[in-house]
Amino acid sequence: MKPKIGIFGLSGCWGEQIVILNCEDQLLDIVGATEIVDFLGGSSVNDVESPLAIAFVEGSVANEREERQLRRIRERAGLVVACGTCACFGGIAAMDAEQPREQVICQVYGSGGPASAWDIRPHRPLADFVKVDVALPGCPMEKSEFLRATASLLNGDIPQLPAYPVCLECKMNESDCLLVSRGLPCAGPVTTAGCGARCPGYNVVCIGCRGPVEECNIISLQKILEEKELKAAEIKRKLRTFAAPALDRNERGGLA
Amino acid sequence: MTRTINIHHLARVEGHGGIQVVIDGGQVSKVEFDVFEGIRLLEGLVRGRSLEDVTGIVSRICAICSHSHSITSLQAIEDALEIEVTPQTRKLRDLAYHGANIESHALHVFVLALPDLLGHPSVISLAGSNPKAVATALRLKKLGNTIQETIGGRAVHPVNYVIGGFGKLPSTDQLLALEKDLTAGLADCWSAIEVLRDIEVPDFVCAPIRCAALVPEDEAFFFGKSMELSDGGARQTIPVQDYRALTNEYLVPHSHAKRSAHDQRSYMVGALARLTLHGNRVDGLARKAWEELRLALPSTNILMNNIAQAVEMVYSVERALHLVQDLLRTGLAPESPPPYRVRAGRGTAATEAPRGTLFYSYEFDAEGRVAAADVITPTAQNLNHIEDQLRAAVQQGAEAGASDLMLEQRSAMIARAYDPCISCSVHLVRS
Repeated sequence: MKPKIGIFGLSGCWGEQIVILNCEDQLLDIVGATEIVDFLGGSSVNDVESPLAIAFVEGSVANEREERQLRRIRERAGLVVACGTCACFGGIAAMDAEQPREQVICQVYGSGGPASAWDIRPHRPLADFVKVDVALPGCPMEKSEFLRATASLLNGDIPQLPAYPVCLECKMNESDCLLVSRGLPCAGPVTTAGCGARCPGYNVVCIGCRGPVEECNIISLQKILEEKELKAAEIKRKLRTFAAPALDRNERGGLA
Repeated sequence: MTRTINIHHLARVEGHGGIQVVIDGGQVSKVEFDVFEGIRLLEGLVRGRSLEDVTGIVSRICAICSHSHSITSLQAIEDALEIEVTPQTRKLRDLAYHGANIESHALHVFVLALPDLLGHPSVISLAGSNPKAVATALRLKKLGNTIQETIGGRAVHPVNYVIGGFGKLPSTDQLLALEKDLTAGLADCWSAIEVLRDIEVPDFVCAPIRCAALVPEDEAFFFGKSMELSDGGARQTIPVQDYRALTNEYLVPHSHAKRSAHDQRSYMVGALARLTLHGNRVDGLARKAWEELRLALPSTNILMNNIAQAVEMVYSVERALHLVQDLLRTGLAPESPPPYRVRAGRGTAATEAPRGTLFYSYEFDAEGRVAAADVITPTAQNLNHIEDQLRAAVQQGAEAGASDLMLEQRSAMIARAYDPCISCSVHLVRS
């Protein structure tokens, strides 16, 4: 019997579901090797009851409805794969803001009115609510990493994921170092690799979309950037765009 | 007697939305297209961010329209800084838009909408009975992505678009590869048209469609400086700078997305609106597709938006091939983005994203930080029009004796025909 899988989206931009649908050359193989039984984004008839071998979940948890949905997915699934930076680290909806969220909501919707009745909470990553078995970061996650991880899981293996920073891939590409030689605020030294250091290859700085790499030294990067006369508040905001909740818990290196 | 049509969670659309229609004594008394996608407050969150950082953040409003969000954001910034981009930059952006249009329309027409028209729950089930059609659609979708990757550096959330131009220009080899892919794409377009040609598009709804689209200012179909709005036979134009006079956004209790109305009446944006207003530009294979698919405009059947998307997909393959050949003929000049001086200012831009007109407006302080941001997406503008069409379809269906199940299926098809992007619509307006 083919393993049953589900593909789910919480609050986000649908990026990971698009990445899955963008596997044009492999999509029919995936459909052949698995049984996609629950995928609201792709099908109007879904089996919402049966146990799942793997649940792929993108997006962050923004309200009670999504929290309930995520817990139900966890109950059904043998493996939960957090897909993308929102699911892994909270993503941009959880980023630092100039003002508290309540104030932003009032600015956007006005105080009183329909918005005051809405269930609005800070966006949180999946692991704040349930056990996550595999995390595939990236905004969006990389197609190649998704395919490799899925192939590993279907064969009963643990996916091998990079535990080193974007800088390592950038050096292997022999790209010019944007931070050292051009003095630009590149987040490569503290960001998880796996993207092939795409952005520096386009002469564009890494903005940290894959979240902080294990044991990263954020304080050191902060010092380098201060030497380049960037203001501390600006540095902090740049480095806390994609993974603020993870950094709050100091899981992957603090930020002064 | 009261009948209620309830779709808790609409399938095969991007994001989280539902539909509720109530019929009281034979009359539709309530229509709600609910958007319960979690609120991300992005426009509020970008306040205080530098003009260099903001585009990389707003691109994340939507995955499938990320190239449109990035480029429209950059054009609003360039408007504020009074940067004129070079004709080469404009051509490359135009090419990226055609790539986005091919990808987005191939996905919607074949993966999300076609299952409806052929009585399948999903493209997976469709692949079982019609593998050739699905393979063709996937090749076209990939072609659109390859163009977006070549110009923007990544299919979803591009990295190569910067203020005034590009981080890195594509190589001649990449353009030659695109020329080859696009030439093959023309043949695939024809196979796709042959699949759609035999399908009878249902006509269970008949209601006037008020269209709005940018007036293309030159060769580029997706860029312009004024909006055109059709009202029966009459047309009026509104400069993009005055976009708020068109969109007039307001809030309703059942939706996390703001609504748009012009003169208190709804309008639609998207492929059907573009072709209704500016279809005379379409020639070549796309014109042939138009005729083969029996697209008659103006239409009173909103489901024809699916067909309009198919015609536009062919148009974009042809235009992209033309652009690539043009760039190969002239060769790419080694241009770098122009230097600029950061200063206070306001900038506004609009482009035609695959799903319709997308507006961006920023206000920057003297240090180039965002003081205010306003993003109005195609789906946010379409929400009222979707409800009006749902009301018409359910009323007409109920009068003709349609069952609840039929009304439910029809309602889902109506909403899906707009290719709604609910992630986009909850962008959260005006800071």
